[in-house]
Amino acid sequence: MKINPIYRQESRAGARSFKLPLIILGFNSVLAVVALLYMYSMITQVRLTAEIQYSSFLGLYTFVATVEFVLLLFIIPGLTAGSISGERERQTLELMLTTGMQAADIVVGKLVQGLSTIFLLIVSSFPILGLVFIYGGVTMLDVGRLLLCYVVTAVFLGSAGLFCSAVMRRSTMATVSAYSVMVILTAGTLMVNYLADGLAEMTSVGGEAAGWPLYLLLFNPAATFQTVLSRQMGSESGLGVLFPQLDRIAEMGAAGRYWLPVSMAAQLLLAAAFLWGAVRKTEPSVTRRRRR
Amino acid sequence: MLRIENLKKVFGRTVALDGLNMTVEQGALYGFVGPNGAGKTTTIKTIIGLLAPDDGRVLVNGLDVSRERSRVMARIGYVPDAFGVYDNLKVSEYMEFFAACYGLTGLKARKRCQMLLGQVGLDDKEDFYVEGLSRGMKQRLCLARALIHNPPVLVMDEPTAGLDPRTRYEFKEILKELQGQGKTILISSHILPELAEICTDIGVVDQGRMVFEGSMDEILAQINVSSPLLISVSGSQQEALKILRSHPEVETISIREEDIVVGFSGDKKDEGALLQTLVEAGVKVYGFVREKGSLESVFMQITDHSGEEVVLIRED
Repeated sequence: MKINPIYRQESRAGARSFKLPLIILGFNSVLAVVALLYMYSMITQVRLTAEIQYSSFLGLYTFVATVEFVLLLFIIPGLTAGSISGERERQTLELMLTTGMQAADIVVGKLVQGLSTIFLLIVSSFPILGLVFIYGGVTMLDVGRLLLCYVVTAVFLGSAGLFCSAVMRRSTMATVSAYSVMVILTAGTLMVNYLADGLAEMTSVGGEAAGWPLYLLLFNPAATFQTVLSRQMGSESGLGVLFPQLDRIAEMGAAGRYWLPVSMAAQLLLAAAFLWGAVRKTEPSVTRRRRR
Repeated sequence: MLRIENLKKVFGRTVALDGLNMTVEQGALYGFVGPNGAGKTTTIKTIIGLLAPDDGRVLVNGLDVSRERSRVMARIGYVPDAFGVYDNLKVSEYMEFFAACYGLTGLKARKRCQMLLGQVGLDDKEDFYVEGLSRGMKQRLCLARALIHNPPVLVMDEPTAGLDPRTRYEFKEILKELQGQGKTILISSHILPELAEICTDIGVVDQGRMVFEGSMDEILAQINVSSPLLISVSGSQQEALKILRSHPEVETISIREEDIVVGFSGDKKDEGALLQTLVEAGVKVYGFVREKGSLESVFMQITDHSGEEVVLIRED
């Protein structure tokens, strides 16, 4: 089987550096501490009240999954943002482009390398996430859905990071841009919805904004994650803490009925657009001009 | 083998290439020289298909780089001015990575890499990290990398910049060996004496245009004409200077210690006539010789934009 040379080379170099083990250690340490503290607080509560609330054990799953998701949000852009700009700074990008490699091979190789690191993080966290099976309440299918959400988020934000890396000449600027894109997609789309709700309240008594701002949440990985968790917890209308707007997704017709698959598909489509943009910015001007 | 026709490239308001033409014959070792900003790197990046020309075309073995880039890339090896290496890879891994980029894998790739590392004298460094190599070794590694797919054309942009004399000498020997193997080599460099030693052809680019192109024999003939005359006279130089100022083929006059240095455009016959004039006017000439010229002097002459006039300069 022919393995992408970029992926092979990056994996080899990555396996030698201290960066990867440190990320895995840090990531799982945070998750383990969070999970153990949560369990400790539950056990303490049992000791004090002599009452076992099994529903609170589900909170362990929610809590650990949320912390893992937030950690991934911050790790993914950092893993891919410097990949192409780094090659440019090292002046190896030109060399690769003068070989038989296409810009698409380079971008895909970089993406696969970034994703493999993320998958390694996710897989390494299985034992901690598996603590929830001690008490039950969560099925393997639920965990599978959660992992699918992580994978889609990784592909989406990883592609955005790669696009920033291809557009920016310097890795520092590419990293800043990738994190900005992540903040715009998560906090930015949420803010637009809060703003739209606020404006609707001012213009009509008790009115709530509906329509286009809600569609922006389709591109918000955090909204997708919350929907996954809220549906697993048995509440179709969502937890509603950060995204009260998600309670109104039923108003969105088909997009609302199939919110999860539609949002994941929308994010994967945008990821494909990011990758296409990254390829276009990476390929030499000769290839771009010939295509025109 | 390599032909450039009317190449034009503009960056914003800067005209980088203004109708550049160039022909590199098969098996030639072509020295590509020019002052900073003359358009050398732009030309090289157009040849290797990284930059699209605004007009004109680059043909490698009859293939247009803009239309058949991937086929052309299979025929060109490129050595940039920067090393372009991965410090955290071993020498053999670096070579095998680029071999894989060219679609070479497995035993075939390993054998090819070992052979090339031997050719550039790095066979004993295979298991060393690139980080630990000296500048000269890194440049030789880059050369080996450029040869992985056995290209008939090698394009090198300032490959010996920053290298010590010994490493430059070794690099030069490798280039001669490659030329001996039938490779066509285009080398851009600022170190003109070095080019004069190894190149079969020279192209001088200035302000985006080719201002001189020809074989080393042609340029050496021009060197002989362009080098100044050194005239030594005993006694007063005034009479000699008076005759020289009025001579139509004298371009510049300067004084260097006891000698008169004359920029003279005439040939050997004219030199004889000038000597006869000086002697007949009673000037006691005891030295009359063409200074040994260099590629640098021709380069300076070709790329000089200060205008030509007869001037008298005292050289201290």
